[in-house]
Amino acid sequence: MGEEYVKMTPPAAHTIWSAVVNGQMKQAIAPSNAILLDVLRDEVGMLGVKRGCDLGTCGCCAVLIDGEPRLSCLCLAGQVQGQNITTVEGLAEGAHLAPIQTCFATHGGSQCGFCTPGFLMSAEALLTVNKNPSRNEISCAIEGNLCRCTGYQQIIDSIEAAAAIKRGEAPALAPASNPHPNPHPMGPEEPSMPPGHAR
Amino acid sequence: MLMPPFHLHHPSTIEEACELAAGFIEAKESFDWVAGGTDLLPNYKWHINVKQHVISLARVQGIDTISMHEIGAMARLGSIASSSDVHPLIAQAAGKVASSLIRNNATLGGNICLDTRCFWFNQSEDWRRSIDWCHKEDCGTGSDCRVIPNQNTLCVATYQGDVAPSLMVLEGLLHIIGPNGERQIPVEEFFQLDGITRNVLEEGEFILKVTFPEGVENRVGSYKKLRVRESWDFPEAGVAASWIEGDISSLRIASTALESIPRLHQQEIDKLDGGFSTDKILQLSNAMMKSIKPVNNTALPPRYRKSMVKVLAKRCLQEIIGDAE
Amino acid sequence: MAGGYRQQPGASSGETRKDGKRVAGKQKFPPPGSGGSRPNMGPRDLDSIPESVGGKEPQPAGSHIHDRYRTGTEVGKPRALVDSYAKVTGQAWYGDDVRLQNEIIGKILRSPYHYAKIKSIDTSKVEALPGVLAVATGADAPNTFGVLPVTKDEHAMAVEKVRHVGDLVACVAAVDEATAMEALNLFEIEWEVLDPVFDPRKGLEDQDEPIHWRGKYHVGTTNVQKRVFQEFGDRSLVADPTASSHGKWRMEGVHHGFTEPHAVVAHWDPNGRLQLYTPQQVPHYAHRALSTVLEVPMHQINVIRTFVGGGFGGKSDPFPHEMCAAILSRKAGRPVRITFSREEVYWINRGRHPSYIEVKMTADDEARISGFDIDALIDGGGFASFGHVTSYYNGVLATAPYELGSFHYTGARVWTNKPASGAMRGHGAVNTRCAVEVGLDEMAEQMQVDPIDLRLANLLPPHSRTISGFRITSNGMRQALERVREGSDWDKKFRQLPLGKGIGIGCGFFISGSGLPIHWDPNRFPHATVHIQIDMDGGVTVHTGAADIGQGSTTAVAQVVSEVLALPIEMIHVRSHESDTSPVDLGSYSSRVTFMNANAAIRAALDIREKLLNAAWEMLGYHPDVLVLNDRRIYYKHDPAVGVSYLEALHKAQEDKGSLISSGAYRSPPMGGVHKGAAAGLAPAYSFSAYVAEVDVDVETGLVSCTNVWAAHDCGKALNPLAVEGQIIGSCHMGLGQVLSEKMVYGRTGHLQNPNLLEYKIPSVHEMPHVTPIIIESSDPEGPFGAKEAGEGPLLPILPAVVNAVYDAIGVRIRTLPLSMDVVWKAISSKTRSLGGIEATELPSPRLEHSLLQQTLVERGTQHRERDRRRQRSEDTSAYVNGVLFGFDPDQPLEDQVEGWKSAVEPVPEQLAELGLAGKAWLKKEQRQMGGDK
Repeated sequence: MGEEYVKMTPPAAHTIWSAVVNGQMKQAIAPSNAILLDVLRDEVGMLGVKRGCDLGTCGCCAVLIDGEPRLSCLCLAGQVQGQNITTVEGLAEGAHLAPIQTCFATHGGSQCGFCTPGFLMSAEALLTVNKNPSRNEISCAIEGNLCRCTGYQQIIDSIEAAAAIKRGEAPALAPASNPHPNPHPMGPEEPSMPPGHAR
Repeated sequence: MLMPPFHLHHPSTIEEACELAAGFIEAKESFDWVAGGTDLLPNYKWHINVKQHVISLARVQGIDTISMHEIGAMARLGSIASSSDVHPLIAQAAGKVASSLIRNNATLGGNICLDTRCFWFNQSEDWRRSIDWCHKEDCGTGSDCRVIPNQNTLCVATYQGDVAPSLMVLEGLLHIIGPNGERQIPVEEFFQLDGITRNVLEEGEFILKVTFPEGVENRVGSYKKLRVRESWDFPEAGVAASWIEGDISSLRIASTALESIPRLHQQEIDKLDGGFSTDKILQLSNAMMKSIKPVNNTALPPRYRKSMVKVLAKRCLQEIIGDAE
Repeated sequence: MAGGYRQQPGASSGETRKDGKRVAGKQKFPPPGSGGSRPNMGPRDLDSIPESVGGKEPQPAGSHIHDRYRTGTEVGKPRALVDSYAKVTGQAWYGDDVRLQNEIIGKILRSPYHYAKIKSIDTSKVEALPGVLAVATGADAPNTFGVLPVTKDEHAMAVEKVRHVGDLVACVAAVDEATAMEALNLFEIEWEVLDPVFDPRKGLEDQDEPIHWRGKYHVGTTNVQKRVFQEFGDRSLVADPTASSHGKWRMEGVHHGFTEPHAVVAHWDPNGRLQLYTPQQVPHYAHRALSTVLEVPMHQINVIRTFVGGGFGGKSDPFPHEMCAAILSRKAGRPVRITFSREEVYWINRGRHPSYIEVKMTADDEARISGFDIDALIDGGGFASFGHVTSYYNGVLATAPYELGSFHYTGARVWTNKPASGAMRGHGAVNTRCAVEVGLDEMAEQMQVDPIDLRLANLLPPHSRTISGFRITSNGMRQALERVREGSDWDKKFRQLPLGKGIGIGCGFFISGSGLPIHWDPNRFPHATVHIQIDMDGGVTVHTGAADIGQGSTTAVAQVVSEVLALPIEMIHVRSHESDTSPVDLGSYSSRVTFMNANAAIRAALDIREKLLNAAWEMLGYHPDVLVLNDRRIYYKHDPAVGVSYLEALHKAQEDKGSLISSGAYRSPPMGGVHKGAAAGLAPAYSFSAYVAEVDVDVETGLVSCTNVWAAHDCGKALNPLAVEGQIIGSCHMGLGQVLSEKMVYGRTGHLQNPNLLEYKIPSVHEMPHVTPIIIESSDPEGPFGAKEAGEGPLLPILPAVVNAVYDAIGVRIRTLPLSMDVVWKAISSKTRSLGGIEATELPSPRLEHSLLQQTLVERGTQHRERDRRRQRSEDTSAYVNGVLFGFDPDQPLEDQVEGWKSAVEPVPEQLAELGLAGKAWLKKEQRQMGGDK
């Protein structure tokens, strides 16, 4: 006779997990059967990786593993031991937002924002290999990501805009965000001068 | 959802994997194989059929070949879909599996060995407890099947793999390895009735690769998949067909996602009066429809799925053979 | 700019990389205090200043009272949401991202039975499990709560009985997730299983054990939670119709499908106050409910709204798991985090009600709509939630945008043993709207007229009253219809496309804020309050309780404050997360936030503006009437060089006072009728929309794909066009899901068969049509800068537009939602059978030959167009009430003019026999009428 429920304790033996997360070697002590998503969120502290459905159908947990977008909720941490993992936290270059990040903000690609990290990873992976994607190619790249707010259209707009920046056809937008190294572009110290001339 | 505890093992060679499996068999400890994990892990998260050990094939070298005549079990569906080396039909079928993100994790071997699915079964532990379990995962209670009630001998969960019918119509040969050595079996003989038995794999065996005969490159094929959404969804019905252009006798056609196993419909071709000819597309499609008996355990009702077999088969055949009418 | 000051050493060459990025540490830093990177005041953006105050922004709908506060800074410009940079960097903190020191994990034990009494719960084994730190059951929190004060029927955990599978039974907190999950299996519970009810039609019948008991107000011993009867107008007009439509609809329940599962963190701080972190649309109601359940005064609770990963109505109830976390945390003395699995999200539900809707309508010989007769039976699931309101909305929100001869509505909401239905985007209006619009399409077909012309000739004008007494102010319905007709090339396509291709029209009407708030105590309490505080640094801190759930309410508030004060939006800092610092706001529901909250923000900003102008007056000697605010500067209208900077004026204004502080509030004006239920659907403004959808139907498989949508929505004034377009496109997506693929599937055992995102079919990117958003600006007289809602109304028209387009494509009317491929295939099959067994590919496509009525309609439409233009611009201020089209005098009470003009909220006995499905709820008597409450 089987048991009527599957026992959760005692936990599986813990092992040392290590990988390069956003360019930095990270180690964590986690159960040997841990899911990558859990390790990234609970142990490494990358809370930008979101848990939406936990079964692979929302794409909120997508991360780049060796440059390829993968679902961290359907990935055993042990299977990517030692590999290069990029999360949304690793997209910005230092304090400079990646074009894809800025464009999601300026083109309405992000409403509630919960699915945004996953979309950013799928989009970034696409733009790395294809700097001039058609709208259909973009759709195929983000087909594993679910967005309930935007209806996808402004997400595709955002990715197109980012591609244009990557191709050098559009100027990089100045990000107006915290990570910007410049002190406030328009500080409260405001003009005492009218436009053009002083009295 | 947290998975129940199990021990994850990472053999790096085929031999090591077989040895691990042999060891568990001897110790009478339960175990599973995991390749990409996109099928196994959701079930584990739902506490379905959790084993004491899981052997990951991720680090086993050399079983991810992608070529016209051989595809390794660990070849990822995403790579197959975008490869220009494989048969276009395989690339087409692989490209229709779930979503691009899932294809980056999922493997060919995993897709072939996909567990059968049923909406009374693919549910959380709490959910299944509230229906007092089911035959496929009865937790030792001897529960009845919830699809066909009042019996607990047959599991009618549906096999919803996308790639298998395409492998069948391309005359794929599965190479299986285990503690007792290697064997080969045509894809169409791999599957075994009953949603619990599923296939001929013995305990400790796993798929190594699938190979195709010389001349497979001359085959022209098509795979039609019925699904609600163009992403994520398992097939609600699927038909693949292929032939060597001009050679009526070479026609092979198979269906999936309708019963507990995918099926090669050689019988239906053979039964046609005077064999298949290009003006018998509708007859063959009809015969296929009549031969399958879907049950009510997926998103769309069985009667509809059954009727759609005719449409899918017709479209498949018309695409590769041309509309002879 | 002086170059003498650098914040860090390094070349100041200003070099940039090829890709345009700045090189870290290599760029010039401006010296502090020099004026940032824009030392000069920017020119006034006359393109964003209305004509009425000397700018160049066209005002086809007339001027607005807020025009003179426009500075051209922010309003009407496409803007990134102010919090979007937090979202694209992964720094936005949602419910499960709150990780407090020393946290423990809570899990909830859920009912395995549909309906059962709990005879006893033994928790001793749970408590004995090592690692378990707290256990709680219903006995720990016996007080009831609910989002509506009139229907408080929920407990933190089941007291006495459970009402659906997944209902909360008990909860446990443990050191880690595994231990908590293990503990759930150790509860020993004795159950007495009761007979469940799943079919809402059965809910109308008397039961042995009704799911709830309402005492003397209980209807018989049924499961009817609320019944509504409304009748207005002249029922005699319905006789001898020229056209009529009678549709019986079955609409499945749908779920919000937000991507973020519910999560909550509760923490009793060292001072004994509860700090509760939760992704709530309506933190204030959660606040009230927590206080009731925990028996702690509200001021000892701080509700912290995290970022909300989508709400759509699904995060607007106070939730039992929020109570559970607080109870567990109080017991354990440590912070407790509870995060839902996706399945649990479906158990708590609050999605759109599964509905049986019956709509009869008639048109007279002049193609005027002589009557709507609507019957809506809605399946409420196990709890009341917003259902009281939904019961009304299903009828009353169909009283516009058309002028009606009569209106009759019967509605009932019943409890069933399923997860509770509640409010979802387009609350209560969506299903009936679909049925009504499809009925109009059918009547147009019968009369052989164009359905758009039929609508255009039957619209209520701006500044009018609906048949049930709603006050309509601005109304852009006509422009919306005209724009989609033109954009979609309708006249060349409608009834002219080949088989399998179709085009259809649908309209929408929705409230912009609910006129009567859910909690109206303390008396005359404002709907929204906003505080502004400016200290010497000049940064503007705006405190609001409005919950940004991704729709951009924070951005809207920042934009209007920025606009009034003429400050760059970067200087506006909105603080809205904590109830400790935020003034009470009634939350993000009923599309009220932009309208009410931005109005409150404008009032607060005007107070500050006045203080600044007075200071400038003192400094410059010019009266505020001749002073202009523009980009961080206040100056003399006729000589921009005569002026003071914003900071100078601010510091003057702060003399002897310190920070400038202001408070602004909004409360909707008194309006509406006096009949029972008159407040339901009452709003200070209404939004209007019209969509045209194009579909492809695969006639062999029944697969419907929507390819193109032209979506016109009247939002009054788009404060942020980018966000409005986002709302329109997003609404299309959600509505498409409901009309094509989404449904909550309850199997033969009453279990929800698809509580996950794989089987609950939300459209993927491939199912999305190309949407052309068209913004109509009718400038609402009471809206902030003329704005109305844009978050919910845009969802309504997509459903009927698609259903009508499917008819245009295949000539089959389907009244079962969703139009999933099997449903469409079945409808096609029975049609081909009825036509003698033809192939699906040989179906005839519907075609249209105009009748003589078409000309009548076009002429009336043209006249009404002129009427509407004058009324919108307020040149024509004559009274307009529903009925004028039928020849009634608007200046006399209608009941005096027409014999039998009705305004009834209860059926008379002779009507009882002919009531529809939901109307049957009126066959039962209330307990008090039967002399008792059992």
